[in-house]
Amino acid sequence: MADIVSTVRIGAVARNTFREALRNRAFMGLVAFSIAFILLSLALSEMAVVGQEARVVQSFGFFAISLAGAITAVVMGALLVYKEIERKTIYTIVSKPIHRHEFIIGKLFGLIGILIVQVAILGIVWAMVTSIQGGDVGAEHLKGIALIVLEVSLVACVAVMFSAFSSPVLTGLFSLGVFATGRLIPLIEEMLSANRGLFVENAFARFVGEAAVTVLPDLSVFNVSQQVLLGVPVHLSYMGEAIVYALAYGLVFLVIAIWAFERRDFI
Amino acid sequence: MSEASTPALVFKGLEKEFKLGLGLTRVHAVRGVDLEVQPGEIFGYLGPNGAGKTTSMKMAMGLIQPTAGSIRVLGGDIADPAIRRRIGYLPEHPFFYDYLTAFEILDFYGQLYELPRKARRKRIDSLLELVGLAHARDRTLRRFSKGMLQRVGIAQALIADPDLVILDEPLSGLDPMGRREVRNIIVSLREQGKTVFFSTHILNDIETICDRVAMIVEGQVVRVGPLAEMLRSESMGVEIVAHEVADGTRERLESLGAGLEVVGLATRIRLAGEHQATALQALMEGGASVTHVNPHRVSLEELFVREAAEAGGADG
Ligand SMILES: Nc1ncnc2c1ncn2[C@@H]1O[C@H](COP(=O)(O)OP(=O)(O)OP(=O)(O)O)[C@@H](O)[C@H]1O
Ligand SMILES: [Mg+2]
Repeated sequence: MADIVSTVRIGAVARNTFREALRNRAFMGLVAFSIAFILLSLALSEMAVVGQEARVVQSFGFFAISLAGAITAVVMGALLVYKEIERKTIYTIVSKPIHRHEFIIGKLFGLIGILIVQVAILGIVWAMVTSIQGGDVGAEHLKGIALIVLEVSLVACVAVMFSAFSSPVLTGLFSLGVFATGRLIPLIEEMLSANRGLFVENAFARFVGEAAVTVLPDLSVFNVSQQVLLGVPVHLSYMGEAIVYALAYGLVFLVIAIWAFERRDFI
Repeated sequence: MSEASTPALVFKGLEKEFKLGLGLTRVHAVRGVDLEVQPGEIFGYLGPNGAGKTTSMKMAMGLIQPTAGSIRVLGGDIADPAIRRRIGYLPEHPFFYDYLTAFEILDFYGQLYELPRKARRKRIDSLLELVGLAHARDRTLRRFSKGMLQRVGIAQALIADPDLVILDEPLSGLDPMGRREVRNIIVSLREQGKTVFFSTHILNDIETICDRVAMIVEGQVVRVGPLAEMLRSESMGVEIVAHEVADGTRERLESLGAGLEVVGLATRIRLAGEHQATALQALMEGGASVTHVNPHRVSLEELFVREAAEAGGADG
């Protein structure tokens, strides 16, 4: 087992990926930008709905954190392996006694580490703004933030999978598509079960809709802002299920990525 | 088979065809290379630009898959990490994570070999000393010059004390001192019983340190063997340097098959040994003044140029 999956080798790649991001101005810019984005959107949403701000702001803040994290996941996930091949840094790595799957897993773990840091920073910013506005911040919110980490990590897996087959730009578009569709799965399901509308009139649209619902992860699982908003507690069993759900999907995406990467020429 | 008699590297009928674009254009980079590198030797892989050296080395390292043929490395398959553990590889113009320092990058590579921390540190410090980068240990690679990066490349290839070292143009980008240092490193690897397989198109490198040489031109090995033998098999020649060579004399010399080259005021004449007397007589009669007459062995350079030209001629 130690020969097929070495924590030392995976750890070395993961740590290094993490370190690269921290030393990278572009990533720091992205974090700064997303902080500004959160602050701005919180300010705007407060102006828009005078009176019941705390709740709406809360809900909108969660969405903004998740969007910023997903964008980081997609951009960095698309470039994660691509850049190594393009810059030929991969030559001195895969020629060492590391399995290619260990390399991919290490890169992905490094990226997830970065996403955790980013979401945590944005979560803290959000919590500070919310308490300044007089809302309270508690354990339920922490769970909500943790679920966002799961969501964006899953989006990172999607991006890494697409990047094994396509260019960074296409990978970016596909992955953002999966993120958007994944969030809308409950809505699509509702439309599919209705007896009127697009999915009834157009057979092809129905096929696409059904395929999406069947294949894509339902990212709304990780969005508990409504619940938290209404004061409904998020049970630990729910958290557990969400973790299993994310792991199962993440594993499938990862296996596909590794399968493609294993066979690749590095030219 | 015993360890000692197992070749360090074997190419059998090795081929690589690259598909460009939609696969309509193909580049046949390596066309049936057969090669055996024995343990403990320094083997030079020599060929002009675009001959297929880098491509064959990348196949040896498993970075690209051969279109046909097979490769054995240290008696095993390069896909096996246990085999890769015993190999050091320097890619052509190596690229590294440039946000890391020299120490950090070597530490990273050491971890991929699962070297324990203490051993890693010791090894890195001695390697940085060996390649002359001890002073730049904590500088980020972004601030390294080309030759310094090449030195990092040599150090990372040696980090795990490999049995076989595959170096793609190890002397490129180095200053004269650097070249000598790296040549000495390669020779000392042989003294430690290691095998070195390296590519170059710089003939001096090969002449001074290689045990055996393979010459590759347009994807095919055209010659292979001990260097001395390769050169000895060519006939001896003579080099004459003369001043004031008249046009008529020139023609007479050329009819003897001599190669003439004007160097400043002098003319350098190279021809087969048996025509020496006739050529000198022609020069005297033409009123030229002869300054040198040297017996001259065919150099690797001439052999190289000749092989490359022949292959080019046969092709076009
Ligand atoms: N990725 C690739 N796609 C298409 N053709 C390639 C690719 N890599 C190499 N080639 C072609 O294969 C041939 C051999 O290239 P290679 O890099 O192996 O030569 P080389 O002997 O290492 O030359 P040099 O001395 O310049 O380094 C060349 O014609 C080159 O254009
Ligand atoms: Mg080359």
